[in-house]
Amino acid sequence: MTETTAPIDAATAGGGRSERLPTKVYLYISLTILTAIIIIPLLSTALGGFKTLGELRGNPFGLPANWQWSNYGDILFSQRYWLQMGNSLLIAALTVFLTLSLSAMTAFTFAHVKFFGSGFLLNYFLIGLMFPAATAILPLFIRIRDLGLLDTYWGVVLPQVAFGLGMSVLLFRNFFRNLPSELFDAAFVDGAGYLRFFWSITLPLSRPIIATVGIISFVGSWNSYILPLIMLNSESKYPWPLGIMVYRGEFSTDWQLILAFITLTILPTVIVFFAAQKHIIAGLTAGAVK
Amino acid sequence: MAGLELRNIAKSYGAVSVIEGIDLSVEDGEFVALVGPSGCGKSTILRMVAGLEDISGGDIIIGDRVVNDLTPRERNIAMVFQSYALYPHMTVYKNMAFNLELSGKPKAEIDQRVRQAARMLELEPLLERKPSQLSGGQRQRVAMGRAVVRDPAVFLFDEPLSNLDAKLRVQMRSEIKALHKKVGVTSIYVTHDQVEAMTLSDRVVVLNHGVIQQEGSPMELYRRPANLFVAGFIGSPAMNFFEATIEGNSARTASGLSFAFNAAEAVSDGQQVTIGVRPEHFQAGSGPLSGEVTFVEPTGGQTFVTLDLSGQPTMVLVSSEEDIETGSRLSVTAPLERTYVFDGQSGRRISKN
Amino acid sequence: MSQTSSLAAAPPLATRAPAVARRSKRHVRGTLPVLVLFLPPALLLFTVFVILPMGEAAWYSFYNWNGYGLPTQWVGTKNYELIFNNGAFRQALINNGLIILVSIVIQIPLALWIATMVTHRIKGAVMFRLLFFLPYVLADVAAGMIWRFVYDGQFGLVGGLFTSLGMEAPFWLADRQVAFYAVLGVIVWKYFGFHMMLFVAGLQSIDKSVLEAADIDGATGWQKFYRVTLPMLGSTVRLSVFFAVIGSLQLFDMIMPLTGGGPSNSTQTLVTFLYSFGVMRMQVGFGSAVGVVLFVICVVLAFSYKRIFMKND
Repeated sequence: MTETTAPIDAATAGGGRSERLPTKVYLYISLTILTAIIIIPLLSTALGGFKTLGELRGNPFGLPANWQWSNYGDILFSQRYWLQMGNSLLIAALTVFLTLSLSAMTAFTFAHVKFFGSGFLLNYFLIGLMFPAATAILPLFIRIRDLGLLDTYWGVVLPQVAFGLGMSVLLFRNFFRNLPSELFDAAFVDGAGYLRFFWSITLPLSRPIIATVGIISFVGSWNSYILPLIMLNSESKYPWPLGIMVYRGEFSTDWQLILAFITLTILPTVIVFFAAQKHIIAGLTAGAVK
Repeated sequence: MAGLELRNIAKSYGAVSVIEGIDLSVEDGEFVALVGPSGCGKSTILRMVAGLEDISGGDIIIGDRVVNDLTPRERNIAMVFQSYALYPHMTVYKNMAFNLELSGKPKAEIDQRVRQAARMLELEPLLERKPSQLSGGQRQRVAMGRAVVRDPAVFLFDEPLSNLDAKLRVQMRSEIKALHKKVGVTSIYVTHDQVEAMTLSDRVVVLNHGVIQQEGSPMELYRRPANLFVAGFIGSPAMNFFEATIEGNSARTASGLSFAFNAAEAVSDGQQVTIGVRPEHFQAGSGPLSGEVTFVEPTGGQTFVTLDLSGQPTMVLVSSEEDIETGSRLSVTAPLERTYVFDGQSGRRISKN
Repeated sequence: MSQTSSLAAAPPLATRAPAVARRSKRHVRGTLPVLVLFLPPALLLFTVFVILPMGEAAWYSFYNWNGYGLPTQWVGTKNYELIFNNGAFRQALINNGLIILVSIVIQIPLALWIATMVTHRIKGAVMFRLLFFLPYVLADVAAGMIWRFVYDGQFGLVGGLFTSLGMEAPFWLADRQVAFYAVLGVIVWKYFGFHMMLFVAGLQSIDKSVLEAADIDGATGWQKFYRVTLPMLGSTVRLSVFFAVIGSLQLFDMIMPLTGGGPSNSTQTLVTFLYSFGVMRMQVGFGSAVGVVLFVICVVLAFSYKRIFMKND
């Protein structure tokens, strides 16, 4: 039968066609191997934190013979870990809030208000999608310094928001355009002006896109490295990506400590990801499709 | 071309059995319609014949082969889908040629067969277009062309006209009928629209809840419905039903309406039954049944009049020559041979019609 | 044009034309306040932190400047000459090109293959999808550091593997010949999940009855894939490639913890080069020139790709 010999048969099962056994076996084996490739680095990192350095040298793969809770414990009880997490959270929260507000307002204008040059302005923002922040990082540094924002949270937040505007404005605008126009007609008949409209009708209906843009902004900010690297000097303000680099610099070959630190810093990400997977995946890939 | 037979077909999803023991025999060249409401199992049966669904029990025989374990291709069937299912990235020509290419036919033959089918369906000017550039009706014709080109043993139609607007539907119906006349391939046509089933097929099979209610020629089903369900399903506008009790040769409703009928089997007084009379069978003008006209819906040639017979809204068809007014009184007669009586419990017809 | 007349002459409701399917832009009271309130903040932010810096980069690139005071030492196109004569830069260019190549030739087909597997109706398909997407959600820095560990010859998994097989442990990341390939591996590990998800969405959007029609037409599994599924995934593939290209030009976070650009500049990318030679040494002119080159590459690629390949998407 043709089914057994052809491994690639995507989305074929319409209705009651169950998968043939050889296909199933092949699938599970391949997928398990791939899972191993994904998981082993992560698992070894997490487990490595429970070992001593010596044990790590001899036994990087397996379970620790003696569980060294102190590696994790020291970090968890240290100030720096929580400080860095807090910094990341603060920066990300500010970024998300600012991004959402600004892009919603801007996109609203593009979607609803006819004004001279609106087409041009939209493309103006879309330019931001074309090149990464890295290209202009030096002048950006100069500008932030001249504004006195060097080594401040805003020095990181503002550029992040600015570079994220291209994508967020686009996403919001497309979303707004797809809202039924009758709503607006009804509101205008009822006497609502633009501002009222934006606040009472558009925003409440925008939950899905707010979630999408929020997630994209948050993840982008939470994981960002080069921008804080250049804009921040005080360790007390470092978000965790800078933190782990500093930590490694300090403990250079004490891998057991470094691994513990890494694990603790990516743990929130992993937990939140599995908790809100659908939203996160939808958010991060929606940005791509639009 | 070959005949088709379903022997004791069953289908279950896990513990849920949707179809139990269906038998159906289709002659070579016959056009059979499977009708029924949504969820009655008609599409499932079609897909089992196609090989798109596993059979939980029974056999499917095409020609003289048992095809249970064969792939769709090996069964030599062709199918027209409700959503047309055309390959969006291929031209009309390629859509029709695809299956021939897959079976390794020589290019010259493919070209000849595709063009012949295109001619038959008036698709020649569209051969180089892609599906997105076609109208709904054109797409459906391409879907049929794709099926015709294969010269299969059986044609399967899965509600092909449901996505078209009413006018187009009527037009495509006659095209399908003409096609069948020309090509004469054994066809199974699934639809929920009984008018389609009646106009297109040699034989109609009515299904409900996975069970065949009745099969026969369209007129057979119309004139002699086997049970309440078929009687109510076939015919538009639908048959009028009245709950009644048997009194001698007649059945009397609780509201006092009395219908005389011919019994086909022994009945007893007091037996609960359902009376059925079609709107078009009521003779208007005079008669023992009378009531106030509540609605008048003129449709041009005929007028649908809704009559209040002792509290029961009843539809009566009158010719538009009559001027019936809302609020007036109308008397009607239910002809003896056209009065259907169905057993109250089983729904089986017990009148002789 | 419309602006001046709208406030004065909003059409009476009775004669308003029926709402068109496209967003109708209404001339309503309050247009001006909205424009004044809603648009400028973002506009300002964007201009100050995105557009201006880019323009300034072009300006600074003609100077030799250390960032203090004002740029005074005009050098014309010298910075650009320096860049293209720089071996490390040339290596970075090659590396970025290789990354793009690997993404297109290896990563995307891989992601497609995996996507077809996880869209089968098998138990746990969703779980697999999640797992494969996980690396993408992690920060590049973290992934880089994790794999720095994995690749370590002394304490890492690679080292442990080789020693347990009785062989000498390699230090791939310190080996000029091999380091970049090790980095490529991490890139594929990190990003294939994202492309896989794009393909999953694409596969799920294919009308099942088209595949059934192919079944009936007699296509085998392989034929169905190559002649029906894959062509229908065309726009997704093009999108995937686009993201791969754009993404690979920005690679920095992952490289730094892994190799820092070494050994001997063998794993430099355009951005790490910019950082190492421009930022670290506070050569604003030089760094800006690198930025401009990167900008030009990005824009040219984005533009031409969209025009050539994604015309009809």
